Amino acid sequence: MRINHQLKTAINGLTSHKSRSLLTILGIVIGIASIILIMSLGQGAKDLILGEISGQVGSKIIEVRPGGEPQGMTDFLSMFSDSLTQKDVDEIKRKGNVPNMAKIMPMVFSSVTLNFGNENHPATLYGATELAAGMYNIKIESGRFLEEDDVKSNSSVVVIGSKVRKNLFENENEIIGKKIKIKGRNFKVIGVIPEGGQGTFSFDDAVLVPYTSAQQYVLGYKYFQHIIVEADTEENVPRVVEDIKITIRNSHDIDSTEKDDFSVQSMIDAIKTMETVMSILTLLISAVAAISLVVGGVGIMNIMLVSVTERTREIGLRKALGATDKDIMIQFLFEAVILTAMGGLIGIIFGASLSFVTSFLITKFTTYNWLFSFPISAAVIGILVSSFIGLVFGIYPARQASKKSPMEALRYE
Amino acid sequence: MALIEIKNLSKVYDNEGAKTQALDDVSLEINKGEFVAIMGHSGSGKSTLLHVLGLLDNPTSGKYHFSGKNIGSYDKNEIAKIRNQKMGFVFQAFNLLPHATVLENIKLPLMYSEIPESEWDTIARNVAISVGLEHRLNHQATQLSGGEKQRVAIARALVNDPEVIFADEPTGNLDSKSGQIIIEIIQRLNTEMGHTVVLITHETYTAEYAERIVRLTDGKIECDTKVENRRIRGQCFVK
Repeated sequence: MRINHQLKTAINGLTSHKSRSLLTILGIVIGIASIILIMSLGQGAKDLILGEISGQVGSKIIEVRPGGEPQGMTDFLSMFSDSLTQKDVDEIKRKGNVPNMAKIMPMVFSSVTLNFGNENHPATLYGATELAAGMYNIKIESGRFLEEDDVKSNSSVVVIGSKVRKNLFENENEIIGKKIKIKGRNFKVIGVIPEGGQGTFSFDDAVLVPYTSAQQYVLGYKYFQHIIVEADTEENVPRVVEDIKITIRNSHDIDSTEKDDFSVQSMIDAIKTMETVMSILTLLISAVAAISLVVGGVGIMNIMLVSVTERTREIGLRKALGATDKDIMIQFLFEAVILTAMGGLIGIIFGASLSFVTSFLITKFTTYNWLFSFPISAAVIGILVSSFIGLVFGIYPARQASKKSPMEALRYE
Repeated sequence: MALIEIKNLSKVYDNEGAKTQALDDVSLEINKGEFVAIMGHSGSGKSTLLHVLGLLDNPTSGKYHFSGKNIGSYDKNEIAKIRNQKMGFVFQAFNLLPHATVLENIKLPLMYSEIPESEWDTIARNVAISVGLEHRLNHQATQLSGGEKQRVAIARALVNDPEVIFADEPTGNLDSKSGQIIIEIIQRLNTEMGHTVVLITHETYTAEYAERIVRLTDGKIECDTKVENRRIRGQCFVK
C-alpha cells in the first residue's frame, strides 16, 4: 500500500472520532505548550537582561569590587569591605601597569533620603565622575552632567533621575539650581536624567554626585565600592582584567590568588554567567514539562489500544481484502504519529499565544520592555518530539493491531 | 486441475484446554468455474471450512492446494497477496467501512493491490455498475439499505477480478426479497462472468442456486451432490 493512502486512511480513521482524537492529544498539547511557553519566556527574559547589560553599559566595562570572589551569602558583606582605595586607582592608571585601559572611574553608592522643602524621597546615591555619562550611556534631559571640576573641587552638585524629579519637584517648573538636602547638606541640582534604562541600570530613582563629595559629605570614608575600568577595545577586555588583578595584587602585597581581597569582573563575564544560568533554568523547567509529554504519550497508547480493540472488525476486513501485517501496523502508527504531531502543532500555537499575551501584559503593566520571542528551534523540536512520542507509544498498539488474525477479527462482535 | 484441493484437512480449536474439532479429516476438490454451496447446521464446521479455504485461518493438519500450489509453503505476505488478488469475500454482516462512501469501499482491495491508482476509479465504477449501484457511488455506507450494502460488498469482492468468491451466508441478514436479488447476482457472477463461487448457507432455497451442494455435519462431509433442479432467474433482475 502506498504511503499517501496509508496517510489518508489514518486521517480518515482519526476524523471519524474527532472528539476522542482531540481529548487524546490534550496531554501532548499541554506538554508542548508549556515547553514552548517556558522557552519563549526564557528567551524573552534572556534578551531583556542581556539587552540591558549590553545596551546600557558598554561591553568594554570592567568592574573591580572589594572583597574576594563571593562564595556564598555571607560574602556579600564584603561589598562593604574597605580594600579599594585611591592608591589602587592610581596604580591602575599608571600606563605601564594596565596599558590597554581607556578610562577609569571610582564609584561609591549608598541609600539616602533626599529632602526638598517638606518632601522626602528615598533614593540611591551614586558617587561617580564625569566619565559615568559615557560608561553608562546616561543622557541629560535638562541642565548638564557632572564635570571634571565638580569632582576635583568636591562640589555639592547633584544630577537627579526622572522619578526623583517627579517626587520632589512635582509642582516646580524650573528645577535647575534648586537645592536638595542630603544628610543635612545642600546639593545644587545641575541636571536631570530622562526616564529610561532598566533594572540595575536605571537611574530613574537615583542621584549622581561627584564621588569626592559623596565620600566627604555623605559617607565619611575614603574607600570605594567599585572601580570601573573601560578597556580600549572589546578584544582587550580579558587582558585588562588580568593586568588589573596583577596590579592590585602587587599593590596589596598578595602572593596567592586565594588571598585576593578584591574581585574583577567584566560585563562580558557577567553576560556569560547570566546566559548560562538562564539556559540551565530554561532546560530544567523544560525537563519538568517534558514529563507531561511522557504522560501524554501513555494516554495516547491507552486510547490507541482501545481503538484497536474497537476496530478489530475493520482490521480483519482489511486483512481479508489483502492488507499485510505491515500495512495494518503502518496505518495505526500513522494514526498515533499524526495525533501527536497535531497535538504538538496545537501546543506550539497555544504556547506561543500564551507567551505573546504574557509579554504583552508585562510590557503594558511594568516598565520592562519585554519583547515577545518565538524560538523556532523549540517549535521544530516540539514537533519532532511529539511525533517521536507518537511513534514510541504507537508501536505497541499498532503491533497488537497487526497481529490480529483476520478470521478472529471478522468474528469479533 | 482443481482450483481448490484439500486433503485430510482438520481444524481443532483449543480454547483454554477445551478442544473443539471443527473440521475432521475433510477432503474436497472444487474446479475452476464451479458454483458450490456448503451447507450444514450451525456448528457443523461450514464457516471454519470457508475460513480455511479463504486463507483467513490455518488448518491444524492436512494439505491445501490452491491453483495447484501448496498453501503451506507461503509466508504471511504471500498469503495476503493471494487473498487480495485471487479471492473475493462477501460476509453475512457486509463489513463495510461505515464512514466511507460506496466508491471508497469498493476501492479498498485496490489500495492493497499493485494496480496503478489511475485505474482504480474506472475499475470501481465498472463493478459498481455491474451490481446496479451506479446511482449510489457517493453515498456513505451507513445510508444504504441491507441489500444495497451487500451489493457494495459484492462489488468490492469483484474489484480485483478474483478467481474465486467466498460468500459466507450473504443473504443471512437480508429480507427474502433483497436476499433473492443478492443470490441471483452471485449466481450471475458464476454463470455469466465465470467466477468460481463457494457459498455458505443453511437455507436449502439459497443453496439450490448452486450447481453442487456439499453438506457438512460435525466437521465431516456428509454428502456431496449435484443439484438436480437448479434455480435460475438470471434474466429478470436489476438492470
